[in-house]
Amino acid sequence: MKINTWFGVLDLGSNGELLTSELFPKTVRELALRSLSLKDSRQNLPPEGFDLATAAIECGFADSFSEYYSLLHEVTLESVKIQVSEALTPDQRVIQAVEALDDINETTNSLSERLFEWYGGYFPESGLIGEALAAFIVKYGSRENISPEDPIYLRARDSMGARLEAADEVLLKGFAESVCSLYERRKHVEAYIESSMETLAPNLTMLAGPMLGARLISIAGSLEKLASFPSSTIQVIGANKALFKHLRARAPSPKHGVIYSHPIINTSPWWVRGKVARALAAKLSLAARIDFYSAKKDPSLAGKLEEKVRKLRAENPRPPQKRQEGRAKPKKKRRK
Amino acid sequence: MPEIRLLSEGIFELTKDKKQLSTLSLDPGKVVYGEKLISVEGSEYRTWDPRRSKLGAMVLKKFDIPFRKDSKVLYLGASSGTTVSHVSDIVSEGAVYSVEFAPRSMRDFIGLASRRKNIFPILADAGKPDSYAHIVEPVDVIFQDVAQPNQAEIAARNASRFLKKDGYLLLSIKARSIDTAASPREIFKEEVKKLEQAFEPGFEILTARELLPYHEDHLGVLAKLKE
Repeated sequence: MKINTWFGVLDLGSNGELLTSELFPKTVRELALRSLSLKDSRQNLPPEGFDLATAAIECGFADSFSEYYSLLHEVTLESVKIQVSEALTPDQRVIQAVEALDDINETTNSLSERLFEWYGGYFPESGLIGEALAAFIVKYGSRENISPEDPIYLRARDSMGARLEAADEVLLKGFAESVCSLYERRKHVEAYIESSMETLAPNLTMLAGPMLGARLISIAGSLEKLASFPSSTIQVIGANKALFKHLRARAPSPKHGVIYSHPIINTSPWWVRGKVARALAAKLSLAARIDFYSAKKDPSLAGKLEEKVRKLRAENPRPPQKRQEGRAKPKKKRRK
Repeated sequence: MPEIRLLSEGIFELTKDKKQLSTLSLDPGKVVYGEKLISVEGSEYRTWDPRRSKLGAMVLKKFDIPFRKDSKVLYLGASSGTTVSHVSDIVSEGAVYSVEFAPRSMRDFIGLASRRKNIFPILADAGKPDSYAHIVEPVDVIFQDVAQPNQAEIAARNASRFLKKDGYLLLSIKARSIDTAASPREIFKEEVKKLEQAFEPGFEILTARELLPYHEDHLGVLAKLKE
């Protein structure tokens, strides 16, 4: 009986005695690679309770237990290092980018608000917010530096804001520069996600758009996991709170999670949104599966989804009516 | 000078101002996860927080800890190695085969594993023991702390392949990863039944105690194979 071990292939007799052995080269890298390839083989497994360490010494692979364990330590370590470095797959990179984007958005929003409050003391009439305000401050600093040709010159001249001292101006300009560069960074990250999604998951990107597609992968954990989800799960991804409230208590089930941001849902009238969400989730799950298992683009998916949604909208042109009075039924609570 | 009391082989209780669970460090001078190092007469002890380790909690809940200094251990659910580091201290002349499924946790674990000769890291699914059968030898103890719904099944599969006839299983069952809505008591009953009956030869449960107040909704189980 042949058995596979991390140090070689052993041939055992009927009583478990060692007959012959074919040992692997005794270098850490080589042994690690062979060990990884044995991981999925599932063939010629050592019998239950087989003493690998003793066998390794018996067949001459190691001279002593201490040599056996020290080599095994090196080999297992090398194997996991290889596996860990291979774990950073393209979908994991996109997930990192999506999470970075969320962090950037959060930071930019709070810093922008701070800038608005801060600069508001010096030029409350500017009427600028966000990126435009940051760019303005970087360009001019104090409102006194605005040239007469600028359309907001008059507003700046007559402003009730305080005078901006030189030291404060330096501080504010620097702060505004940081905010500007964050907006810039956001565009970079978005562009990266868009281009990677196009190669990583073309079908998902076609149906959901790169941002929503990337977000779905990010919440699922990987493209493989997303592809293995039933479409009913994809439909409510991101609606955890509502879903668990539904499962634990009597709350209504959520109709949609993050896929709500898809224009096909949020431009639909409220009474078909649930149906549209279901149709969209079904096609998204198909798309994710095609992307993970074949990676070929299937343009017909988008048409089928559109067709389905058109049908849903045509079938439900008006909001559901309340029951006729004759058949008395207690008032139905409208679901939110 | 703190007073030292031996709780189990390799596991100590240091008392100075308060009682502190600790192990004798195998890798002196190194802090693994922010624990305190206490030197007593040339030996360095690492404190062990039972709130961060199911095994630590089991020690304080008076489980008979089956680790000896030359024990071979199969540790399922190594995570980033907080508890593995203490097991590695305890079985200083033994081996800890540490299985973890998440590459992210393994990344943090590698640093620890590379400094301790008795740790053998394995990145694999603990539910598929065949995938590491070419590496792991028969062991004296299986310690399992995986947050999976089929915990009992995972324990059974690994025990039937790797556990020596007179070996022990130490298991931490997390109710919340089996069913988020059902009552923990009911789940524990179910899981213990599964351990006793679901496979051949089945486990004989020696101790089963909840790990309160250190961990909520967790049951610690010490078992051995039925004869």
